[in-house]
Amino acid sequence: MIHAFKTARSAKLPRLALLLVTVAGLGLAGCDDHAADPKMQIGANPVLPEIQQYLMPPMRVAKVVGWGKDENPAVAQGLQIHALATDLQHPRSVCVLPNGDVLVVESNGPKGPINRPKDIITGWVQSFAGAKAKDANRITLLRDNGDGSPKLRTVFLDHLNSPFGVALVGHDLYVANTDAIVRYPYEDGQTSITAAGTKLTDLPGGPIDHHWTKALLASPDGSKLYVGVGSNSNITENGIGAEYERAAIWEVDRASGAHRIFASGIRNPTGLQWEPETGKLWAIANERDEIGPDLVPDYLTSVQDGGFYGWPYSYYGKHLDPRVEPQRPDLVAKAIVPDYSLSSHVAPLGVAMYTRTELPANYRSGAFVAEHGSWNRTPLNGYKVVFVPFSGGRPSGPAQDVVTGFLDADNHARGRPVGLAVDHTGGLLIADDVGNTVWRLSSAHPGSVSSIR
Amino acid sequence: MQQHATLTEGTFINEADLKSAAKPRGRLLQRLLVWFSAAYFTGALVTDLAYWQMPNVLWERFSIWLIVAGLILAGLAAITYVIGLASSRQIDGPTWPGVVGYAIAALLSLVNAFVHSRDAYTAVVPTGLMLSVLVVAVLLLTGLVGSAAADRPRVGG
Repeated sequence: MIHAFKTARSAKLPRLALLLVTVAGLGLAGCDDHAADPKMQIGANPVLPEIQQYLMPPMRVAKVVGWGKDENPAVAQGLQIHALATDLQHPRSVCVLPNGDVLVVESNGPKGPINRPKDIITGWVQSFAGAKAKDANRITLLRDNGDGSPKLRTVFLDHLNSPFGVALVGHDLYVANTDAIVRYPYEDGQTSITAAGTKLTDLPGGPIDHHWTKALLASPDGSKLYVGVGSNSNITENGIGAEYERAAIWEVDRASGAHRIFASGIRNPTGLQWEPETGKLWAIANERDEIGPDLVPDYLTSVQDGGFYGWPYSYYGKHLDPRVEPQRPDLVAKAIVPDYSLSSHVAPLGVAMYTRTELPANYRSGAFVAEHGSWNRTPLNGYKVVFVPFSGGRPSGPAQDVVTGFLDADNHARGRPVGLAVDHTGGLLIADDVGNTVWRLSSAHPGSVSSIR
Repeated sequence: MQQHATLTEGTFINEADLKSAAKPRGRLLQRLLVWFSAAYFTGALVTDLAYWQMPNVLWERFSIWLIVAGLILAGLAAITYVIGLASSRQIDGPTWPGVVGYAIAALLSLVNAFVHSRDAYTAVVPTGLMLSVLVVAVLLLTGLVGSAAADRPRVGG
């Protein structure tokens, strides 16, 4: 072998290499965010900045500290809050039965596959935010004795598969697991179900199951079930084939189990509700990530039968997403602009239309929305429950903060709000999957509110 | 081998050459690491071209794993290089244009790994693909300069 010449210069090389590494490092770390005030993106006409593509996407998760003894979330004037149940295992959603019993769905997503090196890193970072917390895959029943402390707490239904949505129609209780809707027989006052379930229909589940929650809502006449089925990726990075019948709201016939796509192009519809005045279906949705701290705003919208809401090809109407190829101009042309922006990356995971009179008068008509909170934005956004006032069946003003204080002064997460439900006394129940608590929000002056105001 | 070279090149065996001939194993490992990483980076260019022509996520996944595998080997090669420098026996080590060229290719690949970690089409087209082309071009250039330097007759070390 012939060896090339050597000089003393080789000794300087590590210094040069170090310099190159430093320069490259500065380039990577230099992706500054410049996030705008989220208020600019609340309401019908959010300000949408230019798309920004990252070299290193920001990952900013709130470290979990949990609730200290006697620590409660902060509430707006005229309200009070207390814990209905603590020491739950990752409670994600709540459902109130006709007799007032509260079902708490304790659940977490299935373990996703590692398709790219990024999946390893993302999983590791998100584990700090409690996203990979142990889950029970069960439903717990709470029976309130009126003064706020549950007098009964039993395991209602066990051995489920990442459940989220629950709906009761007559004596049929439907549980939306991540991969199927299962029906169970339910009698009034029952505190646990041991009967085997009957599968109504399969739902898109694994093996990827990127957005695993399946929101569930029965039609007022009980003949149909509506299911929120999230996309299987952020923005089709798992291939468009993985998105079959996903990023959509399904309409399932309760008698036959047959389904059709009621609306599509909704990236992750995590909550469904009927608007009481118009009887229209409304949904909250989580929009796409990694194109900037203020893109794309998550939203609350009415859902039109057969409507297409953009994902993956476009956002907020016809704003094209360059990450999707091939594009579909035919679909983009009919993309519907959502009704109400909640601002970017707040991650709305629970919605409850309020029609009761027990809370103060300013909450008489509108939607409570639980914002689980951002993980890829600086400063953090969400981590609170807001109220969007409605008038004439449409949002009529800016969202108001109702429950805050899920983050402490150091931006550590004491809890994160998820599912919402209105209980039989008109209070608002809030599942807190990081604080492992179900909170009950009520009027600070119970009894006096409805008569005085 | 050393003797053969000595005869054809007409140079002489000095003490340092004997030392290096006595310990060729570390150098071989370093070369294998460099060659394999270069092959991985080149493979990523091929799968990038495939994705560009036919945007199936399969190709993009091939690319990112190839780039990451290349970076791991490049990191190991860098470690063997530093050990070689520290042990002062690095007499038959890589040439300085070789080191600089390879370092540039590896750093570009690091940037490329981040670009390839974006979601969907823009993980490759256009920035990722351009970086992959650039990396292979730098590697080729480095190889050419290296072999030209190696062909040059040694004069007095």
